[in-house]
Amino acid sequence: MHTEATPAQADVPELDLVKRCQAGDTEAFDQLVTRYRTRVFGMIYNMVHSEQDAWDLAQDSFLKAWKSIGRFRGQSSFYTWIYRIVTNVTIDWLRKKQVKGGGAEFDDAVQLKEIDPAARTVPKADALPHQRMERQEIRARIDAAIQQLSPEHRAVILMKETEDMQYHEIAEALGCSIGTVMSRLFYARKKLQNLLRDLYENV
Amino acid sequence: MKTFEEKWTAWIDGELTGAELVEFEASLPDNAAAEAEKRDAQKLGTFLKEHLECHAMGNEEFFHHQLRERITADAGGTRRESSGSGRVWWPIGRLVWVGATALAIFSVCTFFVMREQPAADQSQYLSQILNARVDPAVSPNATISMFESKEDKVTVLWVDGLQSLPSEYASK
Repeated sequence: MHTEATPAQADVPELDLVKRCQAGDTEAFDQLVTRYRTRVFGMIYNMVHSEQDAWDLAQDSFLKAWKSIGRFRGQSSFYTWIYRIVTNVTIDWLRKKQVKGGGAEFDDAVQLKEIDPAARTVPKADALPHQRMERQEIRARIDAAIQQLSPEHRAVILMKETEDMQYHEIAEALGCSIGTVMSRLFYARKKLQNLLRDLYENV
Repeated sequence: MKTFEEKWTAWIDGELTGAELVEFEASLPDNAAAEAEKRDAQKLGTFLKEHLECHAMGNEEFFHHQLRERITADAGGTRRESSGSGRVWWPIGRLVWVGATALAIFSVCTFFVMREQPAADQSQYLSQILNARVDPAVSPNATISMFESKEDKVTVLWVDGLQSLPSEYASK
């Protein structure tokens, strides 16, 4: 788990922070945001492939979380709960975008993006220019392949493969059954295997 | 009852165990091809993990700042909304009470106004056509009233409180 909290902040149990938030303590909410902002932003970015949109959607998700934190009963972990908000916000946005775009099924136009020098995607040692370019090309191919998946399939494959979430956690986050998660995972994998096989066989 | 897709996914992820695993593997028509497919799916997972690592967020402080601003603005908006709705939308009970009170005040005022209309100085036979004060320099509390009765063709001039009649008013 990527956290940016200071050691002192990280020691505070999550449930205590949630209870303080429920009492209206914005400072406690700030700490929760610090704990999850990177994962939330990364997850959204992988679904929408735009930094600006990912930023806005992360903002919307956290604001929604703040507004509804009073309803959090602690039956699931906080991060599953926040992921549920994040995926709902992002999937809704993707669906609206699809409708506005005249119903085109998740176009495969790829935005070749410069990788942020501070990004975790960049190797620790400075990569050689041709290596950087190669990584960018691979990333662009992956993004294009993911864009061809439906929002629900994107969410499932990203939660499983990049977040290492368990089936039941994904099911809680998406508000569906474990069987649905496994079924969506089956089809998402098949599609990505077809689209990316040449890449991962050769890299 | 799990579908084939569910079992396949669980098998790829190593989540299928015991009798379920044996039963599933026995049901596969080509074990070697299935194993190759499993390796392929696992390779895809590793590949995605490697290349889709968390994309870092720039300007984290600004992200917090913007979020705090939005939370504050949202809280202000909610307060304004709730107090605003209190001003505009009175409950039915309060509206009824205000209406009844206003009606009662109106009735009392009307009663007193109507009662005062037949004034004591008014006569049913005479019509007052003038009511004036005399120049205070001449006589401070003097008033002049003039009445007439059209039926009897009589006009009465009533002068009250006149201390002295100025010499220029004296009849000649």
